[in-house]
Amino acid sequence: MELRRPSSLAELPASPGDGAVLLAGGTEVVPLIRSGLLHAETLLDVRAVVPRGIDGTRIGAATTLAELESSDEVPDAVREAARLAASPQLRNAGTLAGNLLQATRCWYWRLGRPCRLHGGDECFARTGEHREHAIFANGFCASAHPSDLAAALLALDATVETTARMLPVGELYRLPTTADRRVTTLEPGEAIVRIDVPAPERSVYLKAMDRARWSFPLVGVAAARTGGETRVALAGVAPVPWLLAGGDVDGATPLPRNAWKVDVARALVRRALAAVA
Amino acid sequence: MARLIRTEKEVEGRYEEVWLVVEEDALDQWPEGPLDVVGRPAARIDGLERARGEAVYTADVQLNGMLHAAMVRSPHAHARARSVDLAPALALPGVHAAIGPGEIPKLADLCGYQGAPVAAVCADTEAQARAAAAAVVVDWEVLEPLVDPDEAVRRGQLLSEPRVRERGDYERGLEEADVVVSGEFRTQTVLHNSMETHQSVVRWVGDELEVHVSTQYVWGVRDELASGLGLPADRVRVICNYMGGGFGSKNDAGDYTFVAAELARRTGRPVRCALSRREEHLAAGNRNATIQRLTIGARSDGTLTALGGEFVNAVGWGGWVAATDGPMHALYACPNVRSTLYGAKLNTPPMKAFRAPGFVEGTFGLETLLDELAAKLDLDPLELRRRNHADADASDGRPFSSKNLLECYRRAEPHWERRHEVRARSTDTVKRGVGMASQVWYGGGGPPSYAWVRVGSDGRAAVVTAMQDIGTGTRTAMAQIAAEELGIPLDHVTVSLGDTARGPYATLSAGSSTTPSIGPAVRAAAADARRQIEEIAEQRGTPGAPLAEVVSVLEDAQILGKGARGPNPTGMQVLTFGVHVAEVAVDVETGEVRVERVAAIHDVGRVINPLGAASQIEGGVIQGIGHTLSEERLLDPATGAVLTTSLDAYRLPTIADVPEIVSELVDVPDRHLTNLGSKGLGEPPIVPIAAAIANAIRDATGADVRSLPITREELLRALREAAERERRGAPAAV
Repeated sequence: MELRRPSSLAELPASPGDGAVLLAGGTEVVPLIRSGLLHAETLLDVRAVVPRGIDGTRIGAATTLAELESSDEVPDAVREAARLAASPQLRNAGTLAGNLLQATRCWYWRLGRPCRLHGGDECFARTGEHREHAIFANGFCASAHPSDLAAALLALDATVETTARMLPVGELYRLPTTADRRVTTLEPGEAIVRIDVPAPERSVYLKAMDRARWSFPLVGVAAARTGGETRVALAGVAPVPWLLAGGDVDGATPLPRNAWKVDVARALVRRALAAVA
Repeated sequence: MARLIRTEKEVEGRYEEVWLVVEEDALDQWPEGPLDVVGRPAARIDGLERARGEAVYTADVQLNGMLHAAMVRSPHAHARARSVDLAPALALPGVHAAIGPGEIPKLADLCGYQGAPVAAVCADTEAQARAAAAAVVVDWEVLEPLVDPDEAVRRGQLLSEPRVRERGDYERGLEEADVVVSGEFRTQTVLHNSMETHQSVVRWVGDELEVHVSTQYVWGVRDELASGLGLPADRVRVICNYMGGGFGSKNDAGDYTFVAAELARRTGRPVRCALSRREEHLAAGNRNATIQRLTIGARSDGTLTALGGEFVNAVGWGGWVAATDGPMHALYACPNVRSTLYGAKLNTPPMKAFRAPGFVEGTFGLETLLDELAAKLDLDPLELRRRNHADADASDGRPFSSKNLLECYRRAEPHWERRHEVRARSTDTVKRGVGMASQVWYGGGGPPSYAWVRVGSDGRAAVVTAMQDIGTGTRTAMAQIAAEELGIPLDHVTVSLGDTARGPYATLSAGSSTTPSIGPAVRAAAADARRQIEEIAEQRGTPGAPLAEVVSVLEDAQILGKGARGPNPTGMQVLTFGVHVAEVAVDVETGEVRVERVAAIHDVGRVINPLGAASQIEGGVIQGIGHTLSEERLLDPATGAVLTTSLDAYRLPTIADVPEIVSELVDVPDRHLTNLGSKGLGEPPIVPIAAAIANAIRDATGADVRSLPITREELLRALREAAERERRGAPAAV
C-alpha cells in the first residue's frame, strides 16, 4: 500500500477502480482497511488540500469534530452532534466529511458477512440480531446510518460542495437497491470540499446512547426551524440519514426486536420540536 | 509444627475435600483498628513503576530471537475440520513452523464454538504470523449449532448432572406462605476484557521450560504444563511479575501457552502467543448467561417460608457450572429452600470464572424478586432483609466465623433514608428512586501458602513469596503486613513475587483469596524474623531495642523468617457480606437509566489498606454497572457466531457512566480467621450492584426489570407492563 500526499485537489484521481482511497482523520478508513472491508492500493492523504475551518456559514470538509464542538459560529445542532459523537481522541482526528461518509455499524456488515450491502442477496439482520437496526426503509437492508452530523445537516438543509458539484445534503445519500448497493451518490474520485450550513433561527440535536459517551446513536434527532419551516432528521434509524416527513414517526416499519426504537424516536422528536418551537 | 489435616478447600464457591499439611498459626491477632501501617491508606508501592511504563508485563517481554505465534480458529460455532493444509502457510515469508489438529491436545479437529483453535503457526513478526494463519486451508464440515440453553436442557445436553439442593420442605413452605411471588430472570453473557489480553512468551532453556504468562496462578500454570508436557514440575518455571487484570479468566495455562511451548520446542526459539482483542472476545472466556425461574413464599410479616429456583447456566462448550443457586441458599434464614441447577452445553465459547461467578447472576434474580415481595407486602425492603437475617449458616447450622451484615444494614440507613429526598427530585419524564441489595460471597481463602522474610543489617526487609498480584494491589498489602509486624516503615519493605523459581508456594489470585490466604503467611514470616531479632537484642543486653539498631551489627549476616498460612477455623462457615444502595434517574420516555450514586458497604474483616480497598469497591461497582446497563456479548441466533467482537459493539462503561461511589468498610477483624482476621474484597463489590439498580428502577417507576442488561428495550418493556398492570387495577409496586 502506498501513501501519497497530493498538493492540490486537482490531483485527485478521477477514474474509478484505481484502488485509491482518500484519507483524512483515518478513524474510519484505517479500521475498515484493517478488517478487510475496504481495499486500498493507494491512500491519498488529503488533509493539506481539503479546506479546514469555519468561515461564516461555510465549513471546510476537513474541519475536525473537535473544532465544530468548540465553535460559536455553527448552529447548535451541529455543535451538539459533534460534541455527542465518539470520544475526545476520535473527535480530535475525525473530520466533518469523514463523519458524513462513514459506513454503518451493522455487525453483520462489519464482520464481512455477504449481506446485501456487501453485494450479497440476504440481509442477515432482518432475520437475525437487529435490536439496534433500522426502523425506516429497512425492507432491503436494515443497516442504520451512524452519522450524528449528517442528521443535523439534513435538518438544517445544508448544501454540500464537492470537487464536481453542489448538492443538498439529502442528495448526498441514496438507499441501496438491488442494482446499486451504494449509500452515497459520490462518484469515484469525487470528494467533499465544503458544507454550507444556513443559519437557522433555532436548532437542536438530541441523542439516545447506551452509555453516557462514545456511542453511536441508537436514535439521534435533529430539528431546525428556519422561517416558518421546521425540519426534523434522524440518525441511526435507516440505512441513510432520515428526513422525517410530516414530523412524526408513525410511518416506521420496525422489525420484531427494534420497535422500542420507535418509542425512543417519538419521544426525542417531540422534545426536539419543543426545543426549536 | 506441621500437621496433616483433612479439610474443605473452597475456590470461587467450589468445594473439595483435601488432605493438607498445615502449620499451626500461633500468633494472636493484632488489636482492632488502624495500626502503624496496617489499616492506614497506602499508595501502591509499585504505582510509579506502573505509571512510568517501567513495570514489565508479559506483553512487554522481548526475548532474543523471539517468534510470534498466531492461531487458526474455527469460523463456525460447530464444525469439524475434514482436512487442514498447513503448506500454504509454511510457504509464506518469515514462517518457521505450523501445527495442526492432534499435534497437541489443545488443537482438535472438532470445534464446538466459534474461535476454537484448530491450528497454529509462528513467524518472525506478528503480522507475518497472522497472514500465515489466514493462509492455512481448512476444509470444514459445518455441523448444526445448539445455542438455546432451554433446548439443551430438554435434550439433556449438559456439562454435568443437574444439581438439586434442598433444605426443609419446600412444598410445605409454599403452603405456609401468605404471599407468593415468582418470576423468570435472565442475565446475559459478558466478557472480562482485561486490559492485557491472554498471552504468554515461552522458551526452552536446556530441558527447562521458562514461561512468562499473564496469569492469576503461577503454580497452577506450572503444574498444568508439567503434567501436559510430561515434565517434572521443577523443570517448568513460570513468571508473572505484573499483569493487566484477569477477573477469573486467567486461572489456567490456556491453549495459547501450550501452542507457544510446542512451537518453541520445534523451532528452538522463544515464542510469543498473544490474543488480539477480537480473539479475546471469542475465545478467552466469559460470564455465561443464565435463566432463573424463581419463587419466593413469605408470611405477611415478611418471614420467608420458601425459596425455590430452577437455574439454567448457558455454560458453553466447556467450563463448569457456577453456583447461580448459591445466594438463594446462603443469604437468608428461610427454612425451606429447593433449587435445581442445570449446566447447558452449547456451541458457544466456554465460560471461565468471572468475579464472583454464579453469585453475581443469582443475586440479581433473588434480590430483585425480594423487592417485588417487599412491594407486594408493603414492607420496607431494608426491614424485610433484617427480618430474614441468617444468624448461622441456614444449610447446616454452622456458625459464621464472623458476620457483620446487620452492621452493614445499620450503616446503610442514612443512604437508604435519602430515598424520600431523591424521589422528590423526580419530574414528569425523569423519575428518581433508590434501591438496595445484599451481598453474600466467599472470600476466606485457605492454606497452603508460604512466605519468607529477609532482614539485612540496613534494617530493610524483603518479602519473598511466589504469589502474583493480579492488579488489586496485594503487593502493597503484603508489604504493609510485614512492615507492621517488623515495626519498620513501609518504604523499608520490598516484595519479590511472581516467579515459581524464586519463592515458596502461594495460592491463586482468585476467589477473593489472595490477602486472606497469603497475608497470614507473610505476617507469620515477619513474626519469625522479629522473634529472632528480639533474641539477638536480648543476647546483646538491649532487650526491646529498635529493629534498626539491633540488626545494624549484622554486617553480612541476615535474619531469615519463614511463615505459613494456618488452617481455617474448624466447623465454621467463612463468608463475606455487604449491602449496596443505588440511586438512579430513569427517563421514562426514552428508557435511559443513569446511576447517580452508589453507597457500597462491605464486611470483609480487617482492612489492610483502606485506599486499596476503596479502589476494589469502585472497580467492582463500575464493572457491575457495565454488567447491569450496557455490556452484552451478542450471538447470531442462526449460526451462533459472535457479533460483538470489537469494543464498539461490546459496550464497556466509560468514565462518564461512573456515579458518585461512597465506599464503607465495617473493618472488624474476624477473630476466628487466621492471625489477620482479614477476608478478601476482590469480588464482593460486584455482587449486589445489578439488583440494587433494578430495585432503584422499581422504586422510581414501579417497573419490574427482569433481564440484564437493562437496555432501553428492557426498561420500556417493563414500564409498559407496569402501566398495563395499573390499568387492570392491580396495585402498582409504588
